[in-house]
Amino acid sequence: MKKCLYVLVFLAGLATAASPGFTHHGWSWTTGGNIDLTGIIKSAKLGNPHGVVTVDVEGEMWTVEVGQPWRNKRAGLKDSDFAVGKEMRFVGEPSKDRSKKRMKAERIYIGDREYKLYPNRD
Amino acid sequence: MALEQSPLAAYLRAARWEYAAVNAAHILGVAMLVGSILPLDLRLIGLWPSIERQSLARVLIPMAASGLMIAVLTGVMLFIVRAQEYATLSVLWLKLTFIVIGFLSAIVTHLRHGLWLDRVPNRSIAHVGVLSLVTWLSALVCGRLIAFVV
Repeated sequence: MKKCLYVLVFLAGLATAASPGFTHHGWSWTTGGNIDLTGIIKSAKLGNPHGVVTVDVEGEMWTVEVGQPWRNKRAGLKDSDFAVGKEMRFVGEPSKDRSKKRMKAERIYIGDREYKLYPNRD
Repeated sequence: MALEQSPLAAYLRAARWEYAAVNAAHILGVAMLVGSILPLDLRLIGLWPSIERQSLARVLIPMAASGLMIAVLTGVMLFIVRAQEYATLSVLWLKLTFIVIGFLSAIVTHLRHGLWLDRVPNRSIAHVGVLSLVTWLSALVCGRLIAFVV
């Protein structure tokens, strides 16, 4: 029984240690400064708990976090705006881990039109 | 995955407050389960010897069981929203393993010692309390970690 317990504690510890980076909650994982990406949508997973699109930026694949459905809608975006093959420009904060090529979008541009996901962030 | 294509999953994926409500209900279930199993386990381990075990069990066991039911029901609803992605998470499978161990150990304990733990032998069954405590706390930690690895 004791052995069993040690195994359980060990596994819980392992789960904690093995989590591949603490991402996506809030802004703690981003740099604090904005970058600007323009690319072609390769795939989109929209909806709760948060939307994620893969974008081809001059041959580099970026993972861009967009809003939940209500946030995208508030900004004026429709799901069809994220259709594969469309061009989009994203302004937002990249992950501190630059090798990840992951960013969280604050503003989106389609053509000249601006869509503010986070109106209170610059 | 068929689960993800279900009407309920599609509805929850797009909903705002409804999705938030399922999230909140999941926390309620976990709070009821862990909040009641913790004192019961500590009692089995040896804390509060003056408090009658059976009276404690009468209150805490139904509470823990209801909490587990709520947590499982809402947990399934949260899972189907992104079933394919969540199914690849080792931390989720670890969590499910802890839940299965915790559930089976509870069933065995109650078969052996009665629903209200009224057939507990004179010797200590502290190890049952320790196993349950570690299992449910580990499940809680793994559950919380899901939000940090996706």
